[in-house]
Amino acid sequence: MSIHGNTVLIANRGEIAVRIMQACTDLGLDFVALYTEEDRLSGHVDAARKLGGDKAVYRINNYLDAGDILSVADQAGATAIHPGYGFFSENYRFARRVSERDRPMTFIGPSWRVIRDLGDKINTKRLARGLGVPTVPGSDRAIYDEMEAETIAENLFEFQANMGIKRPVVLVKASAGGGGMGIDEVEDMARFRQTYRRIRNYSLRTFNDEGVLIEQRVFNFNHLEVQIVSDRSGKNPVHFGTRNCSVQSPGLQKRIEVAPGFWPQALRYEFDATRVIDDITGYSLSIAREIDYDNVGTWEWIVTPDGKPFLMEVNTRIQVENGVSADIASVRGDGNVNLIREQIRIGLGEPLGYTQKDVSFDGVSIEYRLIAEDTENGFAPWVGRIDELKWTQHDWLSVHTHVPLDRPYQIPTEYDPNLALAIIRGADLEEAKRRGLEFLADLRLSGVDSGGGAMKSNIPFLQDRTENLLEF
Amino acid sequence: MSIEKKLTELMQRVNYAREILGNKDRPELDAFAKEIAEFPDKNIVVADDRAMRALQFLEKRIATMETAIDAQLTAMDKVRIVRHPQRVCLKDILENVYDNYTEIGGKDEHSIDPGMLIARAYITRRKGRKIINQPVMVVGQEKGHGQEFRNGGSIKPWGNSKALKYMKVAAREQIPIHTYVNTPGSYPVEDFPGAAQQIAENIYEMAGLSVPVIAIFSEGGSGGAEAIGMADKRLMLSHGYYSVISPEGAAAIEGRIKGSERAPTELIESCAIAQQITAQDNLRNGYIDAIIQEPPLGARPDHFDFYKQLREQVVRATDEVTLSVRGLRLVRAFAMRHFHKNADIIVRWNLTENARERLVARRFRKYRKLATQAYIDERSLLDKLSATSSDIVSSTTSAVNYGLVKPFRQKVGRIVEEAMDEIHVVTGKLDAMYRSGLKKLGVKSNGDRQKEMELTGLSRTDSGETCTDNACDYVSPQARADREISCPHAEKRGCLDIWARDLFTDFAGVCPNCGYNFPMEYQWYLHNVFDKGSIREFNRDIVAGNPTGFPGFDKRIEQAREKTGLKSSCMTFNASLEGTRLTCTTLIANFRGGSVGAAEGEKFIRALELAQSKHQPFLAYVHGTAGIRIQEGVNGLIQMPRCTMAVRKYIEEGGLYIVLYDTNSYAGPVASFLGCSPYQYAVRSSRLGFAGPGVIKETTGVEIPPDYHNCFKALSRGHIQGVWSRKDIRKNLQQAFQTIGGRNLYYR
Repeated sequence: MSIHGNTVLIANRGEIAVRIMQACTDLGLDFVALYTEEDRLSGHVDAARKLGGDKAVYRINNYLDAGDILSVADQAGATAIHPGYGFFSENYRFARRVSERDRPMTFIGPSWRVIRDLGDKINTKRLARGLGVPTVPGSDRAIYDEMEAETIAENLFEFQANMGIKRPVVLVKASAGGGGMGIDEVEDMARFRQTYRRIRNYSLRTFNDEGVLIEQRVFNFNHLEVQIVSDRSGKNPVHFGTRNCSVQSPGLQKRIEVAPGFWPQALRYEFDATRVIDDITGYSLSIAREIDYDNVGTWEWIVTPDGKPFLMEVNTRIQVENGVSADIASVRGDGNVNLIREQIRIGLGEPLGYTQKDVSFDGVSIEYRLIAEDTENGFAPWVGRIDELKWTQHDWLSVHTHVPLDRPYQIPTEYDPNLALAIIRGADLEEAKRRGLEFLADLRLSGVDSGGGAMKSNIPFLQDRTENLLEF
Repeated sequence: MSIEKKLTELMQRVNYAREILGNKDRPELDAFAKEIAEFPDKNIVVADDRAMRALQFLEKRIATMETAIDAQLTAMDKVRIVRHPQRVCLKDILENVYDNYTEIGGKDEHSIDPGMLIARAYITRRKGRKIINQPVMVVGQEKGHGQEFRNGGSIKPWGNSKALKYMKVAAREQIPIHTYVNTPGSYPVEDFPGAAQQIAENIYEMAGLSVPVIAIFSEGGSGGAEAIGMADKRLMLSHGYYSVISPEGAAAIEGRIKGSERAPTELIESCAIAQQITAQDNLRNGYIDAIIQEPPLGARPDHFDFYKQLREQVVRATDEVTLSVRGLRLVRAFAMRHFHKNADIIVRWNLTENARERLVARRFRKYRKLATQAYIDERSLLDKLSATSSDIVSSTTSAVNYGLVKPFRQKVGRIVEEAMDEIHVVTGKLDAMYRSGLKKLGVKSNGDRQKEMELTGLSRTDSGETCTDNACDYVSPQARADREISCPHAEKRGCLDIWARDLFTDFAGVCPNCGYNFPMEYQWYLHNVFDKGSIREFNRDIVAGNPTGFPGFDKRIEQAREKTGLKSSCMTFNASLEGTRLTCTTLIANFRGGSVGAAEGEKFIRALELAQSKHQPFLAYVHGTAGIRIQEGVNGLIQMPRCTMAVRKYIEEGGLYIVLYDTNSYAGPVASFLGCSPYQYAVRSSRLGFAGPGVIKETTGVEIPPDYHNCFKALSRGHIQGVWSRKDIRKNLQQAFQTIGGRNLYYR
């Protein structure tokens, strides 16, 4: 099946929009880019004009206004929509609407049913358990009965004690909740009922549902993820290795991602790291096969200090950090791998064209997220004008940014504060870390805020954390 | 009497006749008026007695003329008679019909509602030398010959509440009630207690008053009339009218007239005729029991013969009601016959305990029988027979089940439970000994392993698959279009446009941002509220017709049937909700606005009766109702008290009755059999109340705010118990049935 003749509407902004445009251009596809009033000076608009000309650029009111986006798509004659990450990327209703409207288009992402089924955490957990994939101990469905809830909590305390956990903690969360709302922890059984009732009542008030989940609280874990790529047949999922995303802000936002997930070649782990990596890739693939997963996706795992992995959730979209996986991967020996390109290609219906055997890995890749924020001060976002963003080019470095390099740039306050992604490759962890520090030291990033204060960025934080990357 | 005074009086009579005829051209009246005007000049020279004789002649002539005109009065003329300021009012009646009275509950303008007049009165009767004073409670609307503060007898909710209060006083004191209905309709405000809700309560409570109630209709305007019109005997003044809506209102609806325009006179006249509103019509249709004859062109304050007749008939009606329930059944018939023959018999109006029960039961039977000719029963003979036989079967089984088996089973259950408890004490001890023995031997139970499995393995769910798609088997036609819908609150609440397919499937027609509930079809509820495949409709073949022969209405009913595939606006069915069997009715807005006529009322009552015999809770889901079907006239209006009585009977038997309003619910049904439920709920974004904004503007002159009838306003006023999002109906209904119905679901 040929993908030629397709026009991809990019329903996103910033650096991901730029990367999608580049991938489209690589594939010889036309694209349509969008921007809003606040974003008119963003670099992604420049890139769109450069790669696609003026006809490829449309202004809309809001990146979240589906009707607006679809009418642009109709007018521009788009045949597919790439949602990027964030915005509509995991909205199954949008995906369904794109593919089932009177003038249907291709949604470049998994089919809407997959997005829906894996978007429901309880459903994902049950799916995993059904396949024998380890998940966080606790309930795998909403609990409505107080007696049942107490039994589960009691068993969880006992279970953790048996596992040798010194200070067992149980989480009580509203099953309809999310994003840290309606969640609390309990340290002993005596306080359980009180907490349970509070969360239940909160949930009833807020979500009109009394269902509560009860789970073990896992401490000191590493955050790993498995990159899956699978074509529309859903039958031949391939993994592109693991990533370690354990360096996060206090608000659990990722700051550094490293591929692969562990580095047993040089670091000592308390457990068999190779086996953990094999296990989680195997488990991830088994779920992908079960549900006929048909695009790129990321399986998020937590790994406990004693090497037990638990599946957390599945992100049914391309991730920010896809670049590090591509960086260390080769397909049939070809190191020029681009997962966004792969996503568009298979999203439009082309078969994947290779199997797991053809995919090999080599080296270490680190991604830094450069963000204007005050890491000394609760990671508060910094807002102002960027006057300079400059770095030395290397063959081991790629930088993705929508910040224009030829003029000052005012950071819009409406969107997330990511400024740039820097991806650094090394033959081994040592080299990658060294190059990373070299890059950070060399990087010039400055600006002023409206009060005349100097720009604050997370560079010192990134430097500090590079030291212990991939160590547990 | 001076000649001049007599002449003025004659002139007044002429003018009165002209007025009630709506100033139609009447040459004979004009000629007569001219004659009166010329009379003084002509008779200036004649002697007084000759002039007097001439006058008497004139008087006779006008009387003849009045009689002649009276024979030709149209329905609309009668409406004008009733509304005329010279029409007898309640004060006149109190003065002249009763022997003494004391006004209670306020006086003149110093009253919570001066339009509602209440008096303790008595009727003095002589038996030989003995004088008997028989007290009654007189309740009625007072227009006071146009006194402004009486508000034309249009009663505010608190006025009806006052009336009910004193009717209950009468019941407590065991004295009969005479209600004089003389209202163009209730004053349509929602302020507590609310026009509709209070009328509903009045009807509900009056249904159970254990004293004889006699209603005398002069102007019987719709819900306002029903608020005090529920009676054992309903008498009507011969020139009165009793109607579901004023002819002008009907004409405005029929002619689709909006705003301040007026309906054409011919349309008003024809509506008045077609709705069968006169006393004669109502007697023929069975909605009143007798007519009290008025003098030609209607009773005015100095028609003393009329008072005499009124007194006689009211007393007689009270006597009859009392006699009909008093004493032994055999003797009763004899007493009645005797009573009819001898008019001078004095009947005492107090009743024994048993007689009171019989009185209420009789009232129920009376209303149950009304309007049964006004719907079409399309059931085949076989269906009817099987319905009757299954009725008998189910009522016998229910008697056996609930009267005999259940108490027995409960007793056995208790004994078994106690025995088990005893045994458990022993086995519990043994079990503990066994386990502690194992522990001492160092055997680990396999409970730990199982617990671990429970925490990390897949748990079993009870229901197998849960249907997360609301769209699993019903797709709203609104969801078929590929278009965007704007939330009406988008501007204020910042809602983005919603794709119709998402909105009317997954979102169940609820705006995901602000929670506004878009109207959905009734089928959605049938598919999403009740257990799958559990709905069994019954009485589908009781069919709405055109009992008044309203012009052109047969065709419109036919159109409604074709459009909706329904045979009336009321669907009755059995269904289950999370396993609880329910009897349900729904009023469907698509069929003539969900209006209620004789067929709908009958279906409602039958459903209630079925729920009672099957011991099931009862749900009335009001998809929408515009009120009583005006084209059916009193055939529709009478459903208010009829259905309310059925509701009362059901509730008294221990039934649980829940009402759920959706979209728009107004007027008669809300002001009776729906509004009387102690448990009323509304779907979010619905509106409910007594009269729509247009009617309020017209009758009160007040411009109401757009959210006046909003369900949250109704909740604040205390009319309903809760507002539910459509998505939560199923869950909240189950919760309501569980908590209100209790463990025994419905039977107290």
